[in-house]
Order: sequence, then structure tokens, then C-alpha cells
Amino acid sequence: MLYANGRLLPANIEVDQGLHDILAPAGLPNVAVYSEFLDQPAFSGEAFSQTMATYLRDKYARSPPSVVIAVSDEALDFSLSRRVRAFPGAQIIYLATSAGHLRSIAPLPPDVVGVPVQYDFVETVTRALDWHPGARHLIVVTGASPWDREWEARLRAEAPGLAPRVTVEFLAGLPMGELHKRLAALGRDSVIFTPGYFMDGAGNQLLPREAVRRMAEVAPGPVYAPYSTFMGTGVVGGYMPSFRDMGRETGQAVLRLLDGVAPGDLGLLTTMPLTLRVDWRQVLRWGIDPAAIPSDARLEFKAPTFWEQYRTLVLAAAAVVILQTALIAALLLERRRRRRTATDLAQSERLMGLAAKAAQLSPWVWEVSQPLAPPISDPSHDFARVFETIHPQDRTAVKQAVQRAIGEGAELATEYRVLSEDGSVRWVAARGRADGPSGQRLIGVSLDITQRKEAEFRAEQDQTALRHLTRVSLLGQLSASIAHQLNQPLTSILGNAEAAQKMLERQPLDLVELRDICADIVAEDQRAADIIRQLGALFKRGEAAFTPLDVKQLVQDTLALVRTDFLARHVNIVAEFAPSLPQVDGDRVQLQQLLLNLLANAADAMGAVPPLERQVVISTDLTDGQIRVCVADRGPGVADSDMERLFNPFWSTKLGGMGIGLTICQSVALAHGGSLSVSNRPEGGAVFCLSVPARIAP
Amino acid sequence: MTGHLPRPVVHLVDDDLQVRKALARLLRQHGWSCVTHESAEAYLAQRDAALPGCLVLDVNLPGLDGLALQRELLASGPALPIVFLTGHGDIPMSVRAVKAGAVDFLTKPVPAETLLAAVQAAVTQDEQARQVLSARAALRERFDSLTPREREVLQGLAAGRLNKQIATDLGIVEQTVKFHRAHIMQRMQAHTVAELMHQAASLGLTATSGTQEP
Repeated sequence: MLYANGRLLPANIEVDQGLHDILAPAGLPNVAVYSEFLDQPAFSGEAFSQTMATYLRDKYARSPPSVVIAVSDEALDFSLSRRVRAFPGAQIIYLATSAGHLRSIAPLPPDVVGVPVQYDFVETVTRALDWHPGARHLIVVTGASPWDREWEARLRAEAPGLAPRVTVEFLAGLPMGELHKRLAALGRDSVIFTPGYFMDGAGNQLLPREAVRRMAEVAPGPVYAPYSTFMGTGVVGGYMPSFRDMGRETGQAVLRLLDGVAPGDLGLLTTMPLTLRVDWRQVLRWGIDPAAIPSDARLEFKAPTFWEQYRTLVLAAAAVVILQTALIAALLLERRRRRRTATDLAQSERLMGLAAKAAQLSPWVWEVSQPLAPPISDPSHDFARVFETIHPQDRTAVKQAVQRAIGEGAELATEYRVLSEDGSVRWVAARGRADGPSGQRLIGVSLDITQRKEAEFRAEQDQTALRHLTRVSLLGQLSASIAHQLNQPLTSILGNAEAAQKMLERQPLDLVELRDICADIVAEDQRAADIIRQLGALFKRGEAAFTPLDVKQLVQDTLALVRTDFLARHVNIVAEFAPSLPQVDGDRVQLQQLLLNLLANAADAMGAVPPLERQVVISTDLTDGQIRVCVADRGPGVADSDMERLFNPFWSTKLGGMGIGLTICQSVALAHGGSLSVSNRPEGGAVFCLSVPARIAP
Repeated sequence: MTGHLPRPVVHLVDDDLQVRKALARLLRQHGWSCVTHESAEAYLAQRDAALPGCLVLDVNLPGLDGLALQRELLASGPALPIVFLTGHGDIPMSVRAVKAGAVDFLTKPVPAETLLAAVQAAVTQDEQARQVLSARAALRERFDSLTPREREVLQGLAAGRLNKQIATDLGIVEQTVKFHRAHIMQRMQAHTVAELMHQAASLGLTATSGTQEP
């Protein structure tokens, strides 16, 4: 291989690769390929040629080459002129040699063969002018080396063919700096064509590819070139042969020569085919209409798009991806919505919890089965279980309220007592309403109102304190006063009597003193009797104001007075009124005092009875013109031995009792022309009955 | 050791004439000397703290009532023990009275037995109090009859110091201390050293302090 230029010339590398493409697979054991470089235009001249020829001859003296492949015009020139001396007996195949140069050195010896290259300057420029309709000037750039000059000459010869379309200007053999300045000054309506150059006007040597690259950088217009090795430097393209193909073509020729085929029978191409090569990036840069690019043009630097390569796959994948995306999006949306709902719910619940806690509310859901019967699964929701904890006395009211709420859709608002396991009683207020389609569910909140209730009781008690002083405890006050008054004569009588007893033990008897004592005792007894008489006088008929009274009303008013007290003592009151009782004549206050006393006694009698069993029944009836008001308790009843003494004054079964209440009650009953009786109920407890004559209608 | 004391007197204070009469009779029949007063003020006007006895006091008195009288008496030094009488039992009132030193709190009408027992207890209490007072006064008198040097020696003995130590303290010979001691025991009418120490304690002589007023 004899290369005219340096080893690094891109064309040389491609040629070498092309040749290798063919020779390497052929696997020729006895064939060696050597490469020699003339390194033009750095080294040239006759002396150099001589020396080189001698060198080559000496070098290959013992193994003379069978075939010499001359790459480019100069290499062919050297081979032909130094053939005898340097390569005696070698076949010569030329390569990358222009048709024009071959014509200038014709005729060639018959054993010198090859494929000439016909660069098509006019075709390239014509194509360029088609792509750049605004182009008015063609600038042709060539260099100063002999090779450059030869290109210049050929181009100048062809340039006139372009004359009608553009003005042609040659920038030949200029120093690089000036060349670039000139190029930069060009208008945008200029198209540049250059084969590159090995040497500028100032003698600077460089690879044509590098020269073209620099030109393309500074030129304001598109650059076209004849060499495929320039592609990528900034040139738009042109009609170009392939150096690699040249190498391959030559490789085939070599193989055939080695097979003994005669040089004239190699069947070589008459000329290397040219391919229109286009740098796609430059197409875009210069705004070339892609439609104007022939379909057989080879587009370089246009990476085939993914779409072009994998269209079907892409479509299928895209479809899958879109479907999946839609699915994921839907799931995400759904998830987000659910999470938001859940978050909202949780937040709402937290807020509710806070509010409930702050207000000490307990939310509940009651499942009310028909009718308050078989329990359901969740005990906290089971109304039947809730119901069991309610104070028996309040159950009826709660049951009615619940049934009303469910049946009529009314709002549930009820207050009731709850029995704790430790036996304590709490007050609870519940509010709620029916919920759900079944209509058997109540939702609502409960509030412990024990404190409020107790406060209410206290307030009510405070409020009724005066009333109690003037009414309820009137008897007690009276008793205390009477007791104190009676105590004095009793003390005196007792003291006198005991003094007399002592005196009687002694002799002689002091009769004067004894007589004195007896007189005092009699006087004190009289004093006690007076006090009792005063008491009786309090309730004498005529002194009290008798008016027609409705017994039921009287009882109800009295119950209203003790209600709070009884609630606090957990005593349940049941009133049973006979229908349409006649009125009675009586003193309202006195009769009320009487009933209060009986009720208080009834409650007192049940102090030892469990709270749930404490019940007082007050009833009215009419028998034989007598109206009876009976107060029955569930206490221990009256012992038989106490029955007779019950109404005696100053006799009491109560701790600290004065024993005067029932005495006065009896006085009151008598004052009303009636009576007060007592009996024990067979089922336990005592019953006190007041009988007063019914009023005879005037 | 008891001196000759006047007969104790039961002072009965009640606004009710008949009650006064009856209870005074009863008390006299049981051997008590009884003086009646119709009000707290009347009692205060003629009371003599030096005379022994007790007070039977009705709680409900016009003017100064029973509890108020008790307070007044307590405020003015040693007083007669009090037995209260009341028309009807009032527990808080009785608790207050007893806490303030009342001997008993009786409810009218009061049985003789109960009243007499309470009076007896009150008079006994008064007697004991007076004995303690008079014994202490006598002791004090004897102590005052000691010479200043004897008192110093007694103080040393009360502090638990030996004769020899007392001699050193006072700058005298032990023999003189022994002489003083014998004389002190004679003057204080103490038969044993233990009795003397007991007397010294009653007088308030202690190890650290000097002679103190009892």
C-alpha cells in the first residue's frame, strides 16, 4: 500500500479498513500487507522521490511486493515513475485516483489498473442551488499544494457550466487567515464548494478535513464538498464516493490478481459510484426542504427516531402504558378520595371526641329490638342492657320516651337515674333520635347530670328551707318549744317527788316540808296540764279556718313539698287517687301538716330498707261518707306492743324523737271530726289512714 | 395533810323558781348545802372563789346563758366545776360544754340519782383541785423559809449533783453541804431524799434553770 499522504488522513484510514474488510476474511496465510506513506505535501520533490524509491527498493529487496496499491494521484505518479526501481515486477492498482488525472497521464501500461473516481462538481453544486434557492454566488475554495492546484484547475474548467445560475468566485491558495476573513465576509446568498486543501497560501500544512472544518465554522453560507470523509465537519454534503468501498473494490481486485487473473480481465468498475450524502444537522441548519432531498440520498447524523425503529412496539407499549396509567390514575384517585374521606372522618371523629369530652358527653347508639327484647350482638349498643342499668322507677318513663322516639320520630329527651354496680345512683340526661332505615336504632348522647341534679336538689332544698321551717318542721319546732315548756314542770315534779321520797326515809318526818312539796307537785302538774291544753287549743274547731278542700289537690300539693326530699332519700312515691272524690271541710294548713307528718314518718320508717324498695303509696278513697287518705310504707311496721302507745304524747320509737307528731296529728284529725288509724300491712310496712267526713253539699 | 376546809356548797342557777325549789330540796335532802340563783348575773354578783363546791347550771337562761357564764368563769381563773342542765338534748352544745371543762351535761327532767352523782363528782373534782393548790402553796411557804445558801444547795441537789460537786460549785467544804442538806430536809418536812426531790420538782427547780416561781 503506497499512500501519497500521511497515515492519519481519514481517507487513508477508510481505504485501509475497506481493504482489510476483504483481505482479512480471505485468510491468506502467505500474504502480508505493508503500508508506506509518501507524506505529501510535507515531503516532496525529486530528491525525496529518489531517496524514497531507493529506500523502498532496499527495504523490499528480499521480498518484493507482488501488488502495489497506489492510493491517490501522486502515489500513482510515484509508482509509475519509480516502478522499475522501487517495485520491479509488481502489479500496480490505483485507487482514489481521479478520472481527470488519469486522462492527463494516459495512456497507462496495461498492467496498471484500478477504478477511477469521477468527482461531480457540477452535479453537487446544482443540487446545492436547488436546496438554496436564494443562493447567488458560488465560492470555490482550494489550496496551494500541487494536489490543491490540480483540484483548482479541474474546477475552474468545469465552473463555466454553472454560470447562468450563479457567479463563481475562486478563493484559491489564500493564506488561511485571509481565507477565513473572506469567507466570513460573504453574504448569506453564497454557497461554498471545496475539496479542502493540504496547504494554504502561507505554506501551512494541514489535513483537508481540518481545513474544511475551519471553513465551515466561519462561513455564513452552506459548504459542499466532494469527499465523504468531510462529513461531520460542518459540510452539508455532496455527491461523494466511498473510500471504504474503494478499499473493498481494490481488495477484490487484489484477490483476483493473486488468483492469477490477468489485470485486463479483472472486470473492474469503470468508475466509482457517487452517493449523494447529506448531513441532516446541516439540512436543519440551513432550512433545506426535506422534500427536495432525493430518496436515495444518504442522510447522515440523522439518528433514526425511536418511533421509526420500533413503531409497532412503541404503539403497543404506549397502549399498555396508557391503559396502565389510566388504571393507576383511577386507583390513585380512588385511593386519594378514600384517604381524604378517611382523614375527614378521622378528623371529624377526633373533633367529636374532643367536643364530647369537653362537654362530658357520651355518644351512644342504641339498637332497640322489638320491643326492647332480645339482645343483639354488640353489648354497648344493646338497649336492653342499657335498660337494665336504669333505675326501676325511671324505666317506664325511659321506655315510653324511647318508643315515642322510634314510633313517632320524635326527639328523645329524657332524664333518668342509673344504678352503678357499687350501688350509687347517678343521674343521666339522654338526647337522641331515630336513625337508620330500620327505625329500630337510636343515636344520641348522654350526659352525667348528677352534679346538676344534686345542685338542683340543694337549691330546691335551700329554697324550701323556709317552707320547711314554717310548714314541714312546724311540728318539730312546736315540739321543741312544748318539750322545753313541759320539761320545767316535769323537772320540778320529779325533783320534788324524789326529795319527798328521801325525806320519808328519815325520822322524824318534816310534815310541813312534805306538805309544801306536795303542794308544789300539784301546782307543777297543773302547769304541765296548762301547757298541753294550750297545745290542744291550737287545733280547736273554730280557731282554724275551715274551707271546702279538694283532697286530691291537697295530696298533690303535699307531695310537691316532699318530692325533693324523697328523691334525695330515694323514696319512690306512688299516688293512687279514687276518681271524683267529694270535697272536705278543713283547715288546709293543718291537714297538710298532718299528711306531711305521715309521709315523713313513712320515709323515716324505711331508713333501713334498700333504696330500690323504698316506696310510699298514698291513696284516697270514699267509704260511707268518709274520705280516707292512707299512707302506706314498706318499713318494719308497728310492733303490736307499740300500737296502743303510738298516739301517746312524748312516746317515740325514733332516736331523738319527741313523741308528739302523731299526737298532734290525731288532734288535727279529731278537730276535723275524723280519726287517725294505724295498721300493719300483711305484706309488710305500716299504713296510717286519715278519715274525715266528706263535705255535704249545701 | 388536808387543812380544814369549809363545807362545799352547790350553787344552783335556774330561772324557773319551781325547778330551783325542787332541786334545792332534793340536794339538801341528800346532805348538800345548796344556794340558788335565779340568773348567771346573780351568781356572779355573790360568788366567792375561795369557797369550795360546784355549779349546777341551766343552759337556757335569760341574759347571760349557761355556756356564756362558763366562758366567763374560765377566763377569770380557777372556778367551780359545772354540771349543766338543759331542757332537751343538744349534742353539739353538750360537746362544747364538756370540752370546755363541764363535769356533766344532764337533760331535764333529771332523775335524782343522776343529778346527785354528777354533783358528787363535781365537788370531788373541786376538792382535789383545791388540795393541789394548797399543797403547792404550803410547799412554797416552806421553800421561802430557807436561807439563800440553803436554796442554792437544794438547787444543786435537784440538778442531781453530788455533795462534793455542790461544795466545789459553791466554794464550801463538803461537810457544810451535808449540814445544809439535813437542815433543808427538816425545813421542807421531807422524810427522804426522794421526797425532797419530788418537792423540788413541784417547785419547778430543774437542772438548768435557777429558782423559778411555781
